[in-house]
Amino acid sequence: MKNAYKILAIGSLVAGLSVSIISCDKSISEPQRVGYTPANVDEKAGSWKTYVLTSPTDVTVAAPKATSSAEYQAELTDLKSKSASLTQEQQEAVVYWGAGAVYRWNEIARELAARYNIPPASTADGKYPVPDAANPLADPKFPFANPPYAARALAYLSVAQYDALVAAWNYKYQFKRSAPSKVDATVRVALPTSTIPTYPSEDAVVAAASYVVLKAMFPGEVPFLDAKLAEHQNSRLWAGMNVQSDLTAGADLGNQVAAKVMARAKTDGMSAANNQALTAGMIEVAKAQGLTEVWVSQESPLRPPMLPNYGAVTPWNFDAATKVKLRPGPPPALNSAEFTKALDELKAINKSQTREQARIANYWADGAGTYTPPGHWLRTAANAASEAKYSEVRMARTLALVGTSLMDAGICCWDTKYYYYYPRPQQFGVKTSVGLPNFPSYTSGHSTFSAAAATVLGSIFPDQANEFWAQAQEASNSRIYGLIHYRFDCTVGLECGKNIGTYAVNRGKADGSGL
Amino acid sequence: MKTILKSLAVAGLMAPFVAKAQMPNDAIYMGKKQLCVAGMYGYSSWSQYWENTLKRENFNIGTHTTQSVMVMPAYGISNRVNVILSLPYVWTSTSAGNLMGQHGIQDLAAWLKFKVVKAGGFSLNAIVGGSVPIGNYVPSFLPMSIGLQCRTFTGRLLASYREPKTGVYLTAHGSYGWRSNITIDQNSYQADDRVYNTDQVRVPNTYDAAVRLGVQRKGWQTEVWAERSSCLSGDNIRRNDMPFPTNNMQATTVGWYGKVQPRNIGVNARVGYVLDGMNVGQSTSYMVGLLYQINFNK
Repeated sequence: MKNAYKILAIGSLVAGLSVSIISCDKSISEPQRVGYTPANVDEKAGSWKTYVLTSPTDVTVAAPKATSSAEYQAELTDLKSKSASLTQEQQEAVVYWGAGAVYRWNEIARELAARYNIPPASTADGKYPVPDAANPLADPKFPFANPPYAARALAYLSVAQYDALVAAWNYKYQFKRSAPSKVDATVRVALPTSTIPTYPSEDAVVAAASYVVLKAMFPGEVPFLDAKLAEHQNSRLWAGMNVQSDLTAGADLGNQVAAKVMARAKTDGMSAANNQALTAGMIEVAKAQGLTEVWVSQESPLRPPMLPNYGAVTPWNFDAATKVKLRPGPPPALNSAEFTKALDELKAINKSQTREQARIANYWADGAGTYTPPGHWLRTAANAASEAKYSEVRMARTLALVGTSLMDAGICCWDTKYYYYYPRPQQFGVKTSVGLPNFPSYTSGHSTFSAAAATVLGSIFPDQANEFWAQAQEASNSRIYGLIHYRFDCTVGLECGKNIGTYAVNRGKADGSGL
Repeated sequence: MKTILKSLAVAGLMAPFVAKAQMPNDAIYMGKKQLCVAGMYGYSSWSQYWENTLKRENFNIGTHTTQSVMVMPAYGISNRVNVILSLPYVWTSTSAGNLMGQHGIQDLAAWLKFKVVKAGGFSLNAIVGGSVPIGNYVPSFLPMSIGLQCRTFTGRLLASYREPKTGVYLTAHGSYGWRSNITIDQNSYQADDRVYNTDQVRVPNTYDAAVRLGVQRKGWQTEVWAERSSCLSGDNIRRNDMPFPTNNMQATTVGWYGKVQPRNIGVNARVGYVLDGMNVGQSTSYMVGLLYQINFNK
């Protein structure tokens, strides 16, 4: 039958077409990180300059039992039984944590920042409830991990990891306990080993320090963090990398350091960062400087500005007086030709944004529901340090330099924003393709964060400096393309961020690492 | 007229957040070598949406509107095999807030409809369709994006009975829709309560089911319909966050469709209203179309 053939022919054509359209596999590939032997064991790292500790001896570590002792031999026996054969799940945990303790805990912190980066919803009476640390899982969840909050959480995390690892390195090379597999060659190891002494365990140090900081920063995530902590510690046994006393000593050291670091956090001024009572005075200061139209929330109902007093939080790499000196000069008057030119540029983009401009705006948006620009840059930093096969302590140093500089950038930028209280382009009829942050325009946070991070990274990885700076430049431009910043917000923010980054660069050069 | 122009019933703008191309969902066929070209305009808007299961408004969106114009030719390869194409141009806007409207050519869709069984007034039809994005629009800027950048493939079974004397008919269909992964501009995003460190996004597959009851006579047609469309997996919009392509969008929609085509020129119209849903807007949608039929047999 003629029709049947026709149907058959068309049917096979359709089938052929559909096969070409469909690849049924919908799995997603994410970049994988695997463990490595550090390019340098950094055996002198015990003398590197710490942030909060004055010396590694601020914390104590009990002397380990000799590897010949009965206690140690019993631990070895236990280790061999735990590492002899692994379940699929245990193997996956070993590989996951084997990518690096600092690397993974930074990634976990970024994940938490993203999960909590949602502005509270307004209530029926037009108010925005303030997240409550005592009731973190209520609506709105605590914290609202906006960029300043995330910058601070990530900075404290990296500082705690770094200080704890410097102290750990001090004790490692004091006690010089070899890895279990070097004491007993029959221990089956699942990860690359190095000559770094294993008491106290750097993994346990990082896990404990990170756990304490993240529990304080994300109090609703205790069960999640408990599970991560336990898995990380166990993975070291499963991998045959540490005996139990390596881990116990590491956890103890990590806890001690984190407690000291969190003591700084409690008094750094963050508790007053959301003091909304100060904004009236800030507006007066801005008006006294001649600003004719101040920033006003563009949300409905009007949302109180994000952390107006974050600029008063204690910075890491310079003091409060230096912060004031770092504050850029005033933005153009609203009736100036410079302002008109900048606004006209935005109006033109608003009318005919190119796909490439939209791509750049989206790539760097890092808005609600993401790990924020500080998270974006710490991911870049962690990947660069991992590719360079940095030891745990050098990885932590890298992230601490970048992380503290990012928090410094946040503080300086917020100080500037609320000092000038400059209106957003949306107050002049411009739309946005990325969402509008709820705080004054001048200067651009993305530009400040990005320039600070790129400056620090460029100093640590000089051969990639141009690449990092090009990324910072693109991140800065993205806010123009996304239509939420004038060009001068971005160029001035970029310059200020570069100056902020220099302080961390200088600290790094003077921290005794010789790096 | 021997070859009554058969309709191009439209389920376009059914997904309330994102307009999608029309989908053939009837048992009516163009005769052999008959071409019908439809030009349609669609308007869909919502001022309330379901954030997960929470129905809410958003003062920073106000009323969200999606409009589209579309060309949709349908051609009778034989009396029992039809091919249908569609290509819409879509634009979005809001009445409040400052989100920038998006606009552009969306996805090209193609459908093949086979009348597998015909017995008296009863027919069983197999319908397959696929779509590919044509425009390079941004898929992740929901609810402003005009589409999701997915390639899709849909398989549908449709049964219909038409009483020959009165023209009263009852049609029911069920479909399975495959949707490809997409690439977004960001290299990380949150979905399924975790962060993905990649620009690859898994968009859930879909199903839909619908029933239609109507009258089809020479030159005109009128029907009421109800449709359930849903993702087979996916996550929910987080509290006070924006929607995302991974969301499990679901909607139950009811509506009316009508067509008048006494000669080779005709008009059609469609109204739809979302009764219930998840992760979608409660949209009311309208479509009007102009139909023109050409007979290549002459």
